[in-house]
Amino acid sequence: MAAEDLPSQFDVVILGTGLTESVIAAACSRVGQSVLHLDRRNYYAGNWASFTFNGLLSWIEEYKNQQEVQIAESEQVWRSLIDEGEDVMPLTSVDSTISNLEVFSYASEEEEKDETKTPLTSCQPVNAETESEETKGGSTEGQDTCTGDDATESNGKTQNEEHQEQHTSEIAEPSQSQDEKEPQPISSPADPPVEVEKKITYQKLLKEGRRFNIDLVSKLMYSRGALVDLLIKSNVSRYAEFKNISRILTCRNGKVEQVPCSRADVFASKQLTVVEKRMLMKFLTFCLDFEQHPEEYQDYSEKPFSEFLKSKKLTENLQDFILHSIAMVTQQTLTEEGLKATQHFLRCLGRYGNTPFLFPLYGLGEIPQCFCRMCAVFGGIYCLRHSVQCLVVDKGSNKVKAVIDTRGQKIGCSHFVVEDSYIRDEQRQSTAYRQISRAVLITDRSVLPSESDQQISLVTIPPVGSSAPAVRMVELCSSSMTCMPGTYLVHLTCSSSGTAQEDLAPVVSQLFDVPAIPGEEPSGGSEERSKPAVLWVMYFNMRDTSAQDSSGYSLPSNVHVCTGPDSGLGSNYSIKLAESVFHHLLPDEDFCPPAPNPEDIIYDGDGPQAEGSGFDESNNTEEDKSQAEEEKSPSTESSEPAEMDSVTQETPLDTSPPSEE
Amino acid sequence: MAGGSVSECKEYLFKVLVIGELGVGKTSIIKRYVHQLFSQHYRATIGVDFALKVLHWDSKTLVRLQLWDIAGQERFGNMTRVYYKEAVGAFVVFDITRGSTFEAVSKWKHDLDSKVKLANGNPIPSVLLANKCDQKKDGSNNSSLMDNFCKEAGFLGWFETSAKDNINVDEAARFLVENILLNDKGLSYEENNGDKIKLDQQTVPAESKPGCC
Repeated sequence: MAAEDLPSQFDVVILGTGLTESVIAAACSRVGQSVLHLDRRNYYAGNWASFTFNGLLSWIEEYKNQQEVQIAESEQVWRSLIDEGEDVMPLTSVDSTISNLEVFSYASEEEEKDETKTPLTSCQPVNAETESEETKGGSTEGQDTCTGDDATESNGKTQNEEHQEQHTSEIAEPSQSQDEKEPQPISSPADPPVEVEKKITYQKLLKEGRRFNIDLVSKLMYSRGALVDLLIKSNVSRYAEFKNISRILTCRNGKVEQVPCSRADVFASKQLTVVEKRMLMKFLTFCLDFEQHPEEYQDYSEKPFSEFLKSKKLTENLQDFILHSIAMVTQQTLTEEGLKATQHFLRCLGRYGNTPFLFPLYGLGEIPQCFCRMCAVFGGIYCLRHSVQCLVVDKGSNKVKAVIDTRGQKIGCSHFVVEDSYIRDEQRQSTAYRQISRAVLITDRSVLPSESDQQISLVTIPPVGSSAPAVRMVELCSSSMTCMPGTYLVHLTCSSSGTAQEDLAPVVSQLFDVPAIPGEEPSGGSEERSKPAVLWVMYFNMRDTSAQDSSGYSLPSNVHVCTGPDSGLGSNYSIKLAESVFHHLLPDEDFCPPAPNPEDIIYDGDGPQAEGSGFDESNNTEEDKSQAEEEKSPSTESSEPAEMDSVTQETPLDTSPPSEE
Repeated sequence: MAGGSVSECKEYLFKVLVIGELGVGKTSIIKRYVHQLFSQHYRATIGVDFALKVLHWDSKTLVRLQLWDIAGQERFGNMTRVYYKEAVGAFVVFDITRGSTFEAVSKWKHDLDSKVKLANGNPIPSVLLANKCDQKKDGSNNSSLMDNFCKEAGFLGWFETSAKDNINVDEAARFLVENILLNDKGLSYEENNGDKIKLDQQTVPAESKPGCC
């Protein structure tokens, strides 16, 4: 933990810990490159991060503060480090990828009373001391981003500010709204432990804040998509567990209903007539190998998929299902692309469950960290809250030869990989960006209650008008480890046409019960209300740089820019980008070969004379590397009997059946 | 991380973290404990996630202990959550011959407590290891000071260990596992989360990864 100087030379310096950068880091480290991986933030994963509730409140605070602070940059520090024939290219220290952030809280501000029945904490005595401990602990926890101690306090401020901004004259007195509404059953009878739980107050959200893992980016994983394939191929999958999305819903005419997508769903569906069932099965069967039947769609190859669907004499019902919920394309998407999307969806069905999608436990922010761990395990060095001030460019070759970090150290590198948000506007051809609109809601129950209260749902919401974007909603239950029991975490995402609030608030009020006044509870108990109540909501826009390619930047040739998350449902875009950058860096190396399983590793304790023995070729890079590390490491005092680690693997990397036990 | 019961025998899988400053002997302790090996030769921890120790605790209990080393290069203290996730116990190690490594113990403990908790919100049980006791110079006995320190810092206890001479390593592990098992009696780690999916290569035999598809 001690601050120490970094080594002065790396093969690759990577700035930003989002998904693309983290995959590149793991891939480089895995094949023996020395990697320095930095992030200016104090948490992993950048805009891919997930936060505890308290962590998110601190993130919001930080965003607000950044709006005000203009950082004065002192060039003097690095001037002395620049030699003859070198140029300096500064990076930006301000992150401007998030905008239009708005927060509204509707949870009761009532003080948490010490109830004898608090099921979640029943194992410990409830007393004042542990309560405060927990609150405090909760705020420093998780991604840990934050200086947790003032999270609670600063949050109070956030709320107040919001009230003032939005409803200057009608700030609800915290005590007004909660007279008599005594314990309400929040969840379905399927979940007896929480039945006695009373309504969820704001204090409760703070106290249980560590149970939330709130993603800034909302994506799902196609079970045969590039990310799942890579996780499996590289063995990075060992660091994570997943849940299947249990159902796909859509919202038609204001009503939420289930989309039948698998064969079983189709036949079990009560919404579809027998004729429709037959039509749908026939169409889906055709889509599975549509390439074999070009005559079926040839005439429509230049026309939209939606028109092709019409021509197939499918009912309107079915057309909507296929277009919006299965292919998930727009009215304008061309036929072949629509067919491909449908085919991809169908091929992903059944690999792990009844829908094509997986979601990582603890949130999507887990995935970049899995790749970072793999990078670290193979020797990559990690520093958060640590950035690069400027690049040192060799005038002759127009290549980056070193970076100067925020502590003023000059660090040599052969390649520099950087997330888009660190690049200054001067280095861009264009500063016109697309945006993603996001809303994050904490609600008190599912939009479509069912027998089980532990459903993870993808809800596709077709555009309301012709110009409005299609909205994608993911509703997560507590067993996905992203929200506290008794609540649901709801993510809405669309390509922006206006601010996030303009784009998404209409959908939110269509599907949820939103009180007119922030701070006010929704009227009526959960029994009487027909829609789930919103306890807390946040809107923001995130810059979508995915349309940029390398020609969009004027940068040295060995600088590789990683654009941020795109607005799509899957992560194919980011994974393909990582792979292409990696092949650019190391054209002859394998991309993320499987890491050995810990169970297969045999420790070889015979000391130096044993070195090299038992290593097959694929292990040599690691061996070399660990020796190099040995020399580099500052605290490897020679006299110390210290840790040893000659690692041999018994079996070739790629076939590795566990040989022990 | 509790395992299911197989016939009469109850099986547990526990993830235990081993943390502390660079060069205090974390890897040596793990190796001594798991592999009965010790080497004077230092090698940064490359390519290794964790070591597995199987304990036949008693006639009815089998414990699989995953000992997670910090990757040598996470030494700046920026471990990913992947490392901490679902750990149920920890060793914090320092080197008795280097005072600075003891001073860092509180930082590591604080970091640990802020990043991982038991299902009930309590800190995970942790034990302090004063390693390299074979090199102890003075004969001084600080044990009451250490007892107090552990009490204040929230450690269950402490052991003077030597990975080199195999002193107290098994004892410390036994002490920690006892406490983890005590916690396990009162808690269910899994809650209602039975349908988790692991993604594995098809070539891996199913028996080693329960619940895979």
